[in-house]
Amino acid sequence: MTAFVYQFLAFAYQVADVFAFLVLAAGGLAIIFGMMGIINMAHGEFITCGAYVTTALVRAGLPLPVGIVMGALFAGVLGIALERTIVRRFYNRPIDSLVVTWGVSLIATQGALLVLGSAWTSVGTPLGSIGFGDYSFALYRLVMLAVAIGVLVGLYLLFMKTRFGVHARATMQNPAMARALGVPTERIYAQTFGLGAALAGLAGGVYAPTLTLSPTMGTGFVVESFVTVVVGGADVLTGTAPASAVLAIIRAACTAAWGQVFGLIGLLVTVCIVIRVLPEGFSGWLMRRRA
Amino acid sequence: MPTETLLELADLCSGYGSTPVLQGIDLSVQRGEIVAVIGRNGVGKTTMMRCLIGQLRAWSGSIRFKGNEISSRPPEVRAHLGFGYIPQGREVFPRMTVEENLRVGEMIGARTDAKLYDIVYEFFPILAERRQQKAGTMSGGQQQQLAIGRAMIGNPGLLLLDEPSEGIQPSIVQDITRVMQRVNRELGTTILFVEQNLDVILALAHRCYVMDKGRIVAERSAEELQDREVAKRDLQI
Amino acid sequence: MTLRDIPVLFNGPQTLGRGKLFWLGVAAVIVAAAIYPQYAERFAISNTAYFGVWVFMALGLGLIWGYGGMLSFGQTAFFGLAGYAYGVIAINLGAAHSYPFLALICALAIGTAFAAVLGYFMIYGGINGVFVGIVTLSVTLAFATFMNQTAGPQWRIGRARLNGYNGMTRIPSLSIDWLDGHRIRFEGATFYYLVLGLLVVTYLALRVLVNSRFGNVLVGTRENPERVELLGYDVRRYQLGAFTIGGFLASLSGALYTAWGNFIVPASMALPAAAMPIIWVAVGGREDLTATLVGSFVVLYVFQALTVVSQEYALVAIGALLVVTVLIAPGGYVIWAVDMASRLRRRAGPSPPLSDPALKARTQRG
Repeated sequence: MTAFVYQFLAFAYQVADVFAFLVLAAGGLAIIFGMMGIINMAHGEFITCGAYVTTALVRAGLPLPVGIVMGALFAGVLGIALERTIVRRFYNRPIDSLVVTWGVSLIATQGALLVLGSAWTSVGTPLGSIGFGDYSFALYRLVMLAVAIGVLVGLYLLFMKTRFGVHARATMQNPAMARALGVPTERIYAQTFGLGAALAGLAGGVYAPTLTLSPTMGTGFVVESFVTVVVGGADVLTGTAPASAVLAIIRAACTAAWGQVFGLIGLLVTVCIVIRVLPEGFSGWLMRRRA
Repeated sequence: MPTETLLELADLCSGYGSTPVLQGIDLSVQRGEIVAVIGRNGVGKTTMMRCLIGQLRAWSGSIRFKGNEISSRPPEVRAHLGFGYIPQGREVFPRMTVEENLRVGEMIGARTDAKLYDIVYEFFPILAERRQQKAGTMSGGQQQQLAIGRAMIGNPGLLLLDEPSEGIQPSIVQDITRVMQRVNRELGTTILFVEQNLDVILALAHRCYVMDKGRIVAERSAEELQDREVAKRDLQI
Repeated sequence: MTLRDIPVLFNGPQTLGRGKLFWLGVAAVIVAAAIYPQYAERFAISNTAYFGVWVFMALGLGLIWGYGGMLSFGQTAFFGLAGYAYGVIAINLGAAHSYPFLALICALAIGTAFAAVLGYFMIYGGINGVFVGIVTLSVTLAFATFMNQTAGPQWRIGRARLNGYNGMTRIPSLSIDWLDGHRIRFEGATFYYLVLGLLVVTYLALRVLVNSRFGNVLVGTRENPERVELLGYDVRRYQLGAFTIGGFLASLSGALYTAWGNFIVPASMALPAAAMPIIWVAVGGREDLTATLVGSFVVLYVFQALTVVSQEYALVAIGALLVVTVLIAPGGYVIWAVDMASRLRRRAGPSPPLSDPALKARTQRG
């Protein structure tokens, strides 16, 4: 009986771990997609950026949470710069926006390889672990889950309770009308892109202690984040969050049964099925059911 | 009351793609007036409205508001200068509540008087009742009231109304007409509207312009508007 | 059909270049390419063949993205799958008889079938342009991740070890036995001629295809799917057709590449390799086969020249080239140059009517 409880606990822990990863990896991408309808192919590079800034600051002696926040802010500022210089020219050409951010991603990755070299060791995971029976759980993983939930709650409050949120949602639903009412939609776009980039940076910072840092590390996040956005659809709260939960269960189950790689393949098979059944993802489906 | 020109269009030309629609519009609106632009379908009334708010670029000519040339300003700047736009088809934000729709009308940087909400809710009691309802689930008439209220929250000097009676049942049209008169009288808001519905034109307009093929072809004073037949003929040009 | 009708097959609204001069130029290029091995060194011949191998994948992407409007990052997945399939089959069958040729055919079938299945799920799932990009990239990266971890003796198919990150090596070259027992090994200049022949055939076949009803429906779907559907076409069938043909061409690149180098590694499908087809096609011009062909060769050549300095510098430069292209000449430089030339000609002469409808459509749209 206790063995079963521990086993269940271990599975729940796995699910929570994957859930946190998917929410953090995909949140920034989903926000940008939901608002502007474009996919930021340089998403992984903002994650990388957050991880490097965090690690550099922690090595310089700052506490980890400060490093993570600074990493997120730095990525956010870079995101706004990228939006102002390049991305904003492509809002009516979504496919070209994919191509151009892809080019930026290539430049950033290879440029970083030239400047930073191939790998940095991580600063190490804080907090340690607790044991239950034969299982032990790293406490830092629970912190990640808390951060992921915090991000979702924060986004809910931001979009539902603030003036920025009201303006942002109006812009999402009808940009021309929002503009005619005085909403500075271009600024909203820049801020949203910055927010998306900052969330990517946050993900990078949070995961930095657990990973070996390399300029190509962002690639390790993009498949999962793409999959989550495809399954979730255009809305973070009604799409990304439930999609992350469902995908987390599928991935944890596939991983437990057949190993890591099949966890990933399980995700892809799920995507193929979901796009066949719900082409607009969870949030599109929910929206149509409610309307 | 001394008259002061609030809005003045001179030889305004615009259109879609390479197709011209407005071929030199001249008109002016005095502060405190209610002016109608009337004409058949497809003569360019909505195009003129979209050009006024800035959703459509002016090809040539000028738009002066309070004496300043604004034809190169983007829509959000015009909204801040005092344009309140109520588009054809209402265009409320369907997945937001009534209250949130009104909040979109608040101007960033400007302080929004809580009194404005009270005024809007007093003019349109249905909005107060349905404060938490999603706008997309309301009837056409309710959405029209919401669209007007949303524009009023920005405390505009000039309301631009595009076919306020379109697709709305007659009793609600009468309500809206009465409220627009009160807005004009009590708040001193100037109103420019385009319309095809004769009753609304006669009930609301102080003065009107007749539009055909992208040009203003006639102007009717308050006295001329007393004659129902004149207005009827104008609508059939 | 008479001999006079044949040019109609190769020319049409969907391709640039149609007059006598153009086709004389094409003939001249083919002749030059054919006699080139007489005057070049062994390495140069092999290297040119190597460039040519990639161009099938580029032409396939041109068809999917340029003509069909679906941006696919999946080309290197089909490339890699066909490459691995060729390797596994060729190693298991051995190099005797025409077995490597048989392996090539099977590899093409496997790569194409995979493209068809993936395309079916996406296109019949009704997902839009941007999502096609991220789904195909996800599949590509996941496949590369999978192959990366196939190190160790348990990952073998018959006699073929997959070897994870290091990839499969010692894969037999392509060879074929004629009926009289004479054996042709496709190496060096022979391989070059094989690639050249296949390229000419592919280029001409694609010209026929895009100027046929298939091509017109495909381009119509890119511009306005609803209208084409109203005309009674099932647009998804045409999109799936284009995606599958593009997958076939990527598979051809993959199998030929593996036969040429006798190895295949997961890195040839993962990033940054997956970025390359996009760049070849975007820089030259994706909406015209000739532009894609020319652009691919030029970019491949420039990239290789830069790689001599450093791989990273070359990739940064090529990424910058992509960004600049999309910013200033979204249609690609070859198309851009043709447009400029025709505009200059129009300004100079007494405005002769544009003879080329495709060009006309393009200038109007721009």
